Amino acid sequence: MMSSKIGLACIIDDDSMYVNLIKKIIEAKSLCQNLMVFKNGEEALNYFEVILNNLDKKSIPEIIFLDINMPVMDGWEFLEGFTKIKNKLGKTITLYIVSSSINPIDIERAKSINSVKDYLIKPVTIEDLESIFLNQPA
Amino acid sequence: MLQNELFDNVIRDFNAGYWELYNDPDKEKWSQKFYESTGYSQQELDPTIDYFLENLIHKEDVDVFRDNFLNYKKNNINFKQHIKILTKEGVYKLYRCATNDELPVNIKSEINLLFFFEVKLQPEQDIAKDNFYYKETAQMTATGSWYVDFKKRKSYWDFETRRILEYPDDYIPSLKDSANYYAEDCQQQAADCFFNCAMAGTPFDTEIKMVTANKRVFWVRAIGKPVYNENKEIIGIRGVFQDIDDIKRKEIRLQKSMDIIASQNSRLFNFAHIVSHNLRSHTSNLSLLVQLIEDIDNPEEKIELVNEVKQISLSLNTTIEHLNEIVAIHTNKDQEKKNIKFQDSLNVVLNGIGQTIALSKTKIEVDFKELEEIIYIPAYMESILLNLITNSIKYKHKDRDPLIQIKTYTEEKNKYLKITDNGRGIDMKLFKDKIFGMYKTFHYNKDAVGIGLFLTKNQVESLNGTISVESDVDQGTTFIIEF
Repeated sequence: MMSSKIGLACIIDDDSMYVNLIKKIIEAKSLCQNLMVFKNGEEALNYFEVILNNLDKKSIPEIIFLDINMPVMDGWEFLEGFTKIKNKLGKTITLYIVSSSINPIDIERAKSINSVKDYLIKPVTIEDLESIFLNQPA
Repeated sequence: MLQNELFDNVIRDFNAGYWELYNDPDKEKWSQKFYESTGYSQQELDPTIDYFLENLIHKEDVDVFRDNFLNYKKNNINFKQHIKILTKEGVYKLYRCATNDELPVNIKSEINLLFFFEVKLQPEQDIAKDNFYYKETAQMTATGSWYVDFKKRKSYWDFETRRILEYPDDYIPSLKDSANYYAEDCQQQAADCFFNCAMAGTPFDTEIKMVTANKRVFWVRAIGKPVYNENKEIIGIRGVFQDIDDIKRKEIRLQKSMDIIASQNSRLFNFAHIVSHNLRSHTSNLSLLVQLIEDIDNPEEKIELVNEVKQISLSLNTTIEHLNEIVAIHTNKDQEKKNIKFQDSLNVVLNGIGQTIALSKTKIEVDFKELEEIIYIPAYMESILLNLITNSIKYKHKDRDPLIQIKTYTEEKNKYLKITDNGRGIDMKLFKDKIFGMYKTFHYNKDAVGIGLFLTKNQVESLNGTISVESDVDQGTTFIIEF
């Protein structure tokens, strides 16, 4: 099996079933070495703000999968905060929105945001995930 | 602009003399055709309005023409009028005056033009005819004219104004009590219109409710414009009242049904979205799971994954139940409404959650004095009270026991229910638009599902009410329902 190029990936999603399944796929396919999970935008943003004060590049994920509809702080609000700090993190982070929303307004909005690499509509396929992880620039 | 070929053609076809009006009176210009038609040469006349009023126009026509002219020039109010002009030959010729609005629609003039069309009819005949038409028009369109004379401090009504306002033919309108001709809630509007017209010369054209002699309130289109004297001072207001009650009431009814349809449509759309979104999250998990099962070779792991299907099926059922509850609201809204006492509904709720209240040491203060009962669907009232009360308890402040104040009241004939708590509050800056959304939770409580307020809002709105919220973090939250 190919050794994974990605050290750390991050999922921000409140659907625990979805997160478990993705975890299992990543494990089964050894897509990355470590995975961290946040239940909503606020938890994730808090994490990044802490890292900002205590720069440790190993704790910064190379890839983020962000849900839109979440309690407390949704994906849009997270993006607002994240865009402000992401350049200070000193590492390229590829961010995908992964949502079950097929609302064209959401899709347009996502594509208009610079930090967003692509908009994936749930369900994602194992092939999608593989190609995202394997084509990720090191 | 005036050199415009199209425009010139139109003017030629009009075969009429005209004036070009400018803010600067010295620039005003009378056309060649105007001189030809009246028989004068350009040297003989001083082309100003004052000269015209003094020397050329028949004195019977002076006052009305002056008003029309000034209103046209200052306020762009188009007019039509028959006037008699003294010609070089020493006799009066009849003209029909018309303004920019008679220009063909494809011709736009940047300046105000005033046209003088020669009328071949005998003046007497024409005026008699005018009078006949005026009465016919007034009666058939239910349009009465009126005049307020500031100097004599009197108002005058024509026969049709008296008729639509249901006053006898010999009734003399009162200027002093004129506010009483308008419905109470429209008196300010009427005062504003008349004041602005009298002081600033601003004409008005508005829809307003008036009151007849028999105290019947009805809708009127009221148009008024200032009347000027020789010194261009405003000396009165003249205008018309048109009875538009039938049309206006139809319009209001139509607007109401449109609002209802629009809100139902937006709820339906919203619901379709919710259904799609909430089902999709389960189906996409299911699809992901199936992929995984197919992909994994180890039979033990496969069986483990199959167990996950159970979990998804459970979640799917819960979602469907929630969706059913929403559908039920819309089908149940035709349930029988009953006259219910707020206290009775509250008692039902409190009996059901007595233990929760006791355990959380919740204190509930109730004030139903101002509004004790309402016609409503009992199940909805109970559900609304239950949701709001349990919310207040669920999101109580960690430093104090919950205090919930429930009050009902009326304001301007509308009925309200207000529920205030001293809980931890909601950050309105962040969550204002989401409070009533489905599956939106703002706190970290484990038992937060995000369905209660969504259901409450749907119940209130299905019976054409509204619900609003005010909140301060750490202070508490207030929900106000307008029934």
